[in-house]
Amino acid sequence: MAKPEQIKKEIKKAVSEIVEMPESELRDDASFADELGVDSMMALEIVASIEKKYKVTIPEEEIPNIRSLENVYEVVLKSLNK
Amino acid sequence: MMSAIWDIEQIKAILPQDYPFLFIDRVTEINEKDKKIKCLKNFSYNEHFFQGHFPKNPVVPGAIIIEALAQASIILYSVLKPDIANKKPSYYLGKVDAHFLKPVSAGSQLTLEVNAAKILNNSGMVEARALVENEVVARARIFFGVKLKENNKRGV
Repeated sequence: MAKPEQIKKEIKKAVSEIVEMPESELRDDASFADELGVDSMMALEIVASIEKKYKVTIPEEEIPNIRSLENVYEVVLKSLNK
Repeated sequence: MMSAIWDIEQIKAILPQDYPFLFIDRVTEINEKDKKIKCLKNFSYNEHFFQGHFPKNPVVPGAIIIEALAQASIILYSVLKPDIANKKPSYYLGKVDAHFLKPVSAGSQLTLEVNAAKILNNSGMVEARALVENEVVARARIFFGVKLKENNKRGV
């Protein structure tokens, strides 16, 4: 399995493409909704792209807790360690 | 001729759209486990839009192909989330990434294949393809939102 740092890098790249912001400007703790303008469709795109890439399933009840890149890392790493 | 799993009355019971904006004739396959569906739509020369799109060259508008795929997506959503679909929510198109590969002329039978990538209570993302005679004529990734109307919000 890839190292957590590598996974974080990959996730950041994927999210930066979806929110259309360069990786260099994307802070790990930036609020998806308030700072990055992530709407429900983008959130779905982020979740779906991660599920596909890492072959994990993010439960529906976890999704409201995903509010920043940091939260995405947590959810993915948790799913991968299961 | 492929057999119908859902006939037009079942389709009309789920889809909020109706004539002249109903673009599913039949549902021919439902695979709940793999979260996918197959539907048919026949585009006869009598379709109203062929009069203008285009005179002497009747081609199905790309936007109508997307609409047909979106309607098939609603049916797939209703199979996966029956409790919400039965409350007759509103369905909104959110985002579409589409590729149109071949023109679809009058008289074509369109096969609509939709695979769920992620279906949540209030939104969905699907990978969809439209085929004519086993050839892909369009493919699209479709995002949609699902919202209960004010008068039926109770319970969800």
